[in-house]
Amino acid sequence: MSLGRFILKRALQGVFVIWGVVTVVFLLRFVTPGDPITFIAPLDASPALRQRIAAELGLNKPLYVQYFDYLAELVRGDMGYSYISGTEASARIFARLPATVELAVVATLVAVALSIPLGVVSATRRHEPADYAATTFSLAGISTPNFWLGIMLVLVLSVQFDLFPTSRRALGFVDALGYLAQGNPNGLIVWAKYITLPAITLGTYFTALITRLTRSGMLDELGKSYVRATRAKGLPESLVRYKHALRNTLIPVITVLGLQLGSLIGGAVITEAVFAWPGLGTLVINSINARDWPLIQGCLIVIGTSFVVVNIAVDALYAYVNPRVVYD
Amino acid sequence: MTDEILRVRGLSTRFFTEEGQVNAVEDVSFDVRNGEIYGIVGESGSGKSVTALSLIDLVDSPGRITAGEVWYRNADLAGEFRETRPEAVDGEFVDVRRLPEGVRRSLRGPAFSTVFQDPMSSLNPSLTVGEQIAEAVEVQRRARANPRRTRSRTQGYGLSNLIVDSVLPSRSYVSEESSERAVELLEQVGIPDPAERAEEYPHQFSGGMLQRAMIAQALAGEPDVLVADEPTTALDVTIQAQILTLLRDLQEREGMSVVMITHDLGVIARMCDRVGVMYAGEIVESGTLADVFENPVHPYTRGLLGSIPDLEDPAPRLQPIEGNVPSLLDSEMGDRCYFADRCPMAMEDCLTRIPEFAVSAGEPQGGVGSDLDGVDDAAGGGNGGAERGDDGTEHRARCVLAEREYDPERALPDGYFDPESAGPPRSADPERRREPEVNADD
Repeated sequence: MSLGRFILKRALQGVFVIWGVVTVVFLLRFVTPGDPITFIAPLDASPALRQRIAAELGLNKPLYVQYFDYLAELVRGDMGYSYISGTEASARIFARLPATVELAVVATLVAVALSIPLGVVSATRRHEPADYAATTFSLAGISTPNFWLGIMLVLVLSVQFDLFPTSRRALGFVDALGYLAQGNPNGLIVWAKYITLPAITLGTYFTALITRLTRSGMLDELGKSYVRATRAKGLPESLVRYKHALRNTLIPVITVLGLQLGSLIGGAVITEAVFAWPGLGTLVINSINARDWPLIQGCLIVIGTSFVVVNIAVDALYAYVNPRVVYD
Repeated sequence: MTDEILRVRGLSTRFFTEEGQVNAVEDVSFDVRNGEIYGIVGESGSGKSVTALSLIDLVDSPGRITAGEVWYRNADLAGEFRETRPEAVDGEFVDVRRLPEGVRRSLRGPAFSTVFQDPMSSLNPSLTVGEQIAEAVEVQRRARANPRRTRSRTQGYGLSNLIVDSVLPSRSYVSEESSERAVELLEQVGIPDPAERAEEYPHQFSGGMLQRAMIAQALAGEPDVLVADEPTTALDVTIQAQILTLLRDLQEREGMSVVMITHDLGVIARMCDRVGVMYAGEIVESGTLADVFENPVHPYTRGLLGSIPDLEDPAPRLQPIEGNVPSLLDSEMGDRCYFADRCPMAMEDCLTRIPEFAVSAGEPQGGVGSDLDGVDDAAGGGNGGAERGDDGTEHRARCVLAEREYDPERALPDGYFDPESAGPPRSADPERRREPEVNADD
């Protein structure tokens, strides 16, 4: 089976997974306390008014009718109307989504760019100072809670040395590119300044994790007999290490990378809170506090879908790197 | 008769483990002649594979070659280093161990090539077989084009080249030319549809086909010496015969020398011209195939030969060698013959360190004869001596029996090494011997 068909097949499976997510998210509303009408209606609303709101939201219909209505609306891209904020839920979510995706992608890229070389150096210079530095860093990175790290970074780098802004996001990457197109690189610089600390905060754990994984994987691969055979045929050490050993090390690394990237999209809540980053994480928290059901459901579905999409991409990449995977 | 390609002298390899120092290879010396197959035979854990790795200088940490010389005949290298490193040059020979690291590495492929035991784990699972063979060709192609760069630390191919080559789709380490040569090599080793098979990954190959591919890879550098480390152990019997035939044919066609390392005496008998028997890291007996097989001196060799079933004359019971290979931990190796506690003919003399003796021609040997179809009478007499004269190979054994006959009067009492009996030397404590030894044979 070709890679194209493999991806198509996984995409079809992904549709079913997303459908499952939607169903669970829909049912969630009926198993959690808090009546949405209470939050929408004024405190002194009459029963008649409450009835009317319920009818308008379709809450008086049987469950299965509500379910199919919801599905039909979702397929049309309608996630419902958020009474509490007074906007379409989808509009709010998609306004927030770029900030989260940017943060997750930048954090991941930085993490990958740092951790894989670090892991490789650590493995190839085992028991040398570079290795001790790398393992110490990864131990610290794994054990540091990121809310603390974020606050410390702000205190030192922003407040004390005034190198970076303390919080918020001035403009998006697309806006920055727009400035650049007009010949003004300052947009990009500002964008980079704002995203640096949140990206470090979010990416540190990840960097540490991948460093460890790369180090142990690389040590494992370098000890295998094919590496010895590769050396025996006279190949340069660069090829032995990077073309042979590293390639096989990356197979498990890619798996973890995919899972982590997926979770970064939904799980940047704490980092976003520390830096008042206007992403999905803060939106989820706020909407849960406000019992803003269309928004909660919308966010969860978007996060779930991202997870599925990232995983399909990772599976495809995995199959590309590892020829032993049979596409089926 | 001194057309040796390789002279190994006093090679010792030690592993420095947490349990202590392991003497995996101890003072091993042998010669490999041009175009011959030299066999090294021994049980698992006798140090034969470490010997192979020591030859190609690929002993991994915590192992280290601690002593010895590997003289390799190469007039060009000898000329090149005669001035700068006189200690590493002797006539046409160079001591590989004393050459600079880069030169040593550049000898892998054109001088020494290796076929490893398990083809499944000796090829990278995520690259095609063709590409891996082509790499081996490409190394030598680049070396010919630019020998100086090849000897540098990065062999003229550092990280930056690698990154550029892997990012740009138009570039690759392996040239078109080398890929074509890889297909040719696959054809040479008898792989059908070599062009298609070259595109496949190791897991799509059977074990026998994969070992053929490994041999093709080893041939890529047109080596002078092919080290075959248990090349057939991981294969089933019918495939073993095919691979051995292939190796023999290739060896004759290419005129290369082969060091055949195996535990299988059948393989040795079939393939080798001369043979060394290893036990506990030492070569305990060596000589021509006829001398060693038909007129064995060391009781260990006799024991090995006694454990082969004979189809012509199926004895009711094989004679296994009792016990196991001793621990090679330095602290547990006593100052005596390492085989004494398993030896049916151990004498008091064996408790002091056993020197190496050359067996003089025609000397009658003690009681136990070889079980190899009764030829020992013919070889034991003047016939064997005449063969040695022709060949120039001394028949040597590291055993007192090479010097004197077995004397039952001076034999150690039965159970001398058992813990219950009185007075075993401390180093021969069998409790310790039963400990799993560090597997240096892997």
